[in-house]
Amino acid sequence: MAVTAKAFQLWRSRIAPQDTVSDVCRVAGIKRSTLAQQLVRGKVSVPTIVSIARGYGLPPVESLAVFEGFADVPAGVRTPTDAELVSQVSHIDILRLLVARSEDQECAGSDLQLNLAPFPHRNSVRAWIEAIDPGDLRQQLAARTGVARQNLSAQLTAGRLAPEIAVEAARIAGVSLASGLVVTGLLTPDEGGWPLDGRARALCAMPDLDLVFLARDRLDVLGKQIRRAELDDGKDRAMWENLG
Amino acid sequence: MNNLAIQWLVLALCALGAVVRLPGVLQGRGRVVFTALVLLTVAVGLSLDAIYLAVDPVLGGVNVANLLLRGCLYAVFLLLGLRMAAAFDSRLASRLVAGPFGIAVLAVTVLATLYFFLASELQGSSTGLRGFDTQDTVLQYIVVGRLYPAYVAACLVVPGVHAALDRQARPLHRLASGFLAAGFTLVVANVALRLIAADLHQWDIILPFSAILLTVVGLCLIWASHLVNVRSRRRANKLA
Repeated sequence: MAVTAKAFQLWRSRIAPQDTVSDVCRVAGIKRSTLAQQLVRGKVSVPTIVSIARGYGLPPVESLAVFEGFADVPAGVRTPTDAELVSQVSHIDILRLLVARSEDQECAGSDLQLNLAPFPHRNSVRAWIEAIDPGDLRQQLAARTGVARQNLSAQLTAGRLAPEIAVEAARIAGVSLASGLVVTGLLTPDEGGWPLDGRARALCAMPDLDLVFLARDRLDVLGKQIRRAELDDGKDRAMWENLG
Repeated sequence: MNNLAIQWLVLALCALGAVVRLPGVLQGRGRVVFTALVLLTVAVGLSLDAIYLAVDPVLGGVNVANLLLRGCLYAVFLLLGLRMAAAFDSRLASRLVAGPFGIAVLAVTVLATLYFFLASELQGSSTGLRGFDTQDTVLQYIVVGRLYPAYVAACLVVPGVHAALDRQARPLHRLASGFLAAGFTLVVANVALRLIAADLHQWDIILPFSAILLTVVGLCLIWASHLVNVRSRRRANKLA
């Protein structure tokens, strides 16, 4: 789930030969104890690498390429597909566009006029996986990363995806290798090569029919989440009211 | 740790469990469980020599205190049984405890307890009636006293385990349910072991008191979880 401490130290001595670990943490804005703990365990997390790269003004994607499993990422960065772009629009913004269209008030299609909420949104990761899925993505992902499908589902439900798995998913689906890192919030859209107004353009380009079905699918997901949450709330209340 | 220390520890824990709920009770929350914990504290207290031998002479020295202990225990199991069946959202357990059959078991137990108590010669205080274990009616009285607690505990074991294994539930609630389920299991195991007449030696004390300990810890965990939730009171907007 991370890079080895040895590879990290090698990289660190290359990008900041004079700096101590404390200096690196200060520049990167991460807690010293966090990095120390990761070094002791022998595994440095990908977010740590990204923070340090940013701190030293290095492009995170190129920095990651130094480490095993990420070597092909810079060469694999491409423009995201329309499906990926649309997957990162929140359901609220989709509904807003739907309402705007129904009232003949659609904007010209720029991000500014649509005022799309920044992403990742709460279902970013799952929506992205669904947008790039060629049909058997989850099976292939489980087979190639050795992570059990149950574990994958749990990560998606929690809105998380380990960086290695996110990159592997992009490899399988044949999309930009940085996309998975963008939708998990590890990289900013800019760092991952996502055009600034790409989401608004892709969304506005959708025909009415597709937009309605997209809204339906998103509401369906939301409905299931709320049902689950209310069930859990009910259980909590039963506990508290009877035994609390 | 010897048996006496365990007993005093459990007594302190029961009292503590009741006391911490007092502020909530004054605001009208959790009265039933509070009552149950107070009664449990009384019951545990009366099973200690030091307290029993001080209280019983005041009540006439004919071991009425032991009858009081039984009454408290039955009430504790009735109250906790009802509340836990509701907390675990188990209709079957609710029906088994509060339905006609459960009430019948309780009524039979209470009547039999009274009958065997009156039928025994109990002059002179003796904790747990240990001084009278040559009388047949006293032995019957003791056996009958375990009937209702075991019945209620048996009804709650399965819902408790189920709640502890619920992967969607809060980890703290799963832990608490696990403690409660373990407590009920010990109550059932305690009675079962005595029915097959196994000689329990020192487990005679450890088994039932561990059951109480586990149950009270479970209740305290849920109380703490409720308190934290009331304090933070995050009414999350599910649509946001």
